[in-house]
Amino acid sequence: MSVLAQCDSKETFVLNLGPQHPATHGVLRVKLTMDGEYIRQAEPVLGYIHRMHEKMGENRTWAQFMPNTGRLDYLSALSYNHGYVLAVERAAAIEVPERAEYIRVITVELNRISSHLVWFGAFILDLGGFTPLLYAFDDREIILDLLQAVTGSRLTYCYFRFGGVYNDIEPDFITGTLAFIKRLRARMPMYHNLVTKNIILVKRLKDIGFVPAEMCRKYGATGPVLRGAGVAYDVRRAEPYSVYPELDFDIPTHPEGDSMARYLVRMDEIEQSMRIIEQACTKLPNGPVMAEKAPKIIKPAKGDYYAAVEAARGSFGVRLVSDGTNTPYRLKLRSPSYSNLSLFGEASRGMLLPDALALMGSLDLVIPEIDR
Amino acid sequence: MISQELKNALAKLAVNEAVVPDFKDKGFHLDVAVAPDAVAPAAEVMNLAGFFLEAITGVDWLAEGQMEVVYDYNHSISPGRVVIRARVSRATPELPTISAIYPGALWHERETHDFFGIVFTGHPDLKPLLLPEDADFHPLRKDYTS
Amino acid sequence: MGKENLQDAIVQFAPLDKLLGLGRANSLWPMTFGLACCAIEMMATGASRFDLARFGAEVFRPSPRQCDVMIVAGTISRKMAPAVQTLYDQMPEPKWVIAMGNCAISGGPFVFKGQYGIIEGADKLFPVDVYIPGCPPRPEALIEGILELEEKITGSRRWPRVEAG
Repeated sequence: MSVLAQCDSKETFVLNLGPQHPATHGVLRVKLTMDGEYIRQAEPVLGYIHRMHEKMGENRTWAQFMPNTGRLDYLSALSYNHGYVLAVERAAAIEVPERAEYIRVITVELNRISSHLVWFGAFILDLGGFTPLLYAFDDREIILDLLQAVTGSRLTYCYFRFGGVYNDIEPDFITGTLAFIKRLRARMPMYHNLVTKNIILVKRLKDIGFVPAEMCRKYGATGPVLRGAGVAYDVRRAEPYSVYPELDFDIPTHPEGDSMARYLVRMDEIEQSMRIIEQACTKLPNGPVMAEKAPKIIKPAKGDYYAAVEAARGSFGVRLVSDGTNTPYRLKLRSPSYSNLSLFGEASRGMLLPDALALMGSLDLVIPEIDR
Repeated sequence: MISQELKNALAKLAVNEAVVPDFKDKGFHLDVAVAPDAVAPAAEVMNLAGFFLEAITGVDWLAEGQMEVVYDYNHSISPGRVVIRARVSRATPELPTISAIYPGALWHERETHDFFGIVFTGHPDLKPLLLPEDADFHPLRKDYTS
Repeated sequence: MGKENLQDAIVQFAPLDKLLGLGRANSLWPMTFGLACCAIEMMATGASRFDLARFGAEVFRPSPRQCDVMIVAGTISRKMAPAVQTLYDQMPEPKWVIAMGNCAISGGPFVFKGQYGIIEGADKLFPVDVYIPGCPPRPEALIEGILELEEKITGSRRWPRVEAG
């Protein structure tokens, strides 16, 4: 019997959470109907950072939209770069040289680790622990140093081009990356000792905040949320793109479906990303990083096209409708956090408010990507 | 992959023959155009086959006086992308909601209503989602000017 | 920017004002207020390596009533604008505003003909003291912005200026 059914009180009140609240990670607002400390109904209110990305797509050329993709989800911007260039390359039938594909994989996976590290710090911060954030940002700064040497920016990357990447990597980048992996490998046990095995964390997360696989399916949730419910769905394996088929990695799943499972999935994904990077660095071939035949002005044939990638938060899809001109006719961005958040209303019903905030943290939301 | 059974079930609802594109060129496995009142039965078919809803979106075909609504489905265990599309007239863009079958559609339909002014009949609450609460404009219509 | 913007009180207590200014400048309390991408760089500024605590401005407060600096870090959408205005109004005097990043300065990359969703710059809503360009600005730039604000409050610069190049 649920807690709500046990205390069927008629006295409820409305609690407004956000849009400026430290636990909502940005400008999300949630209208909560509360019965004491328990949530009867939670209604997320979106749009506080709606930045018109889809309208902008119709206002500029295919290439001019590139910088926007870096500002959708600023924590794993390269995945969004990747999704968009994949869609346009598919539409315009552009082949990408192998070296460029490997560089894309290495940088995207580094970006995924840095995104998970920010999530790790911020999530524990939501639960009341400040110290892990400082450790996580310490490691993340090294990744940002590596990536800024190649891409030229720390956060909002615009590194990929239709047919390759903007510039080649230096040998220093590979040695730096491998040194970083060695360092992070040594640090992971410390993270687990400091946080994962912490009894307070376990009590806050274990058996709380259930998101079962069927709920994920009804709401279209993907990424670590779905894998934390035991479904091994990963776009990198389901619809292999780039050079992922040539690399050996596992899809971590945890069948429990509680907040702890989603936490563990992301921690395991950091390990898998490190494996991918190591293999890609060893296999990195020589050659050009831009397709020689890539056209300067892109004019894809009429029709619609779809491409999806596995971003740090789940499946990111780009649906393009081209009318054969140099601007998109319609550009739809399918963002993973949008679907992941849409189940929050159902999943949080009957929960204690602090537990619901732990659930929200475990969904790993980036608000500008939801509002677009 | 898409089973033959599903293809047959969708063929009954389709207005013309379903397109099976090359995945490498298009990025999806099956493309079915249905009549506007068949989107809910189609969603029922997809639900029974265990698919999840990726997104709903609109396209404004100004020159043809039509609006298109595109439903993207995918399967998490045996991956295969199915696109279901329906066209409504631009003057009265109305079609039934599928939110009773997929609760995830609630937000996607609200967003499509925000951007295109397409009305999903039977939707419990079509108030603006991404636009301000009092918004009365539909910015992604091709004839929109601020 | 600089001293010329300082508003003089009607009755002057020069040494006391100077003392208060010195105290305020070296213990700025910013508001935990992230709008978009720039907020992550603001977090990075406060976290390890950049360690904003060196300059006394690390006490990020979630409540506007406990803050004296508002760092507008990100795009202000039209839906968000009333909330931002309320937060500014709730801050006690004396208060300062730092516009961090191109969006807070002018709308940045999201300005185009026919845009319907954003406010083109925080200074359309309330006065801004320091503008930090960048998309997003590096943490060093935010630190420099805070030092500029300190200079504006006290009238003199405490830390040596680093020349470009």
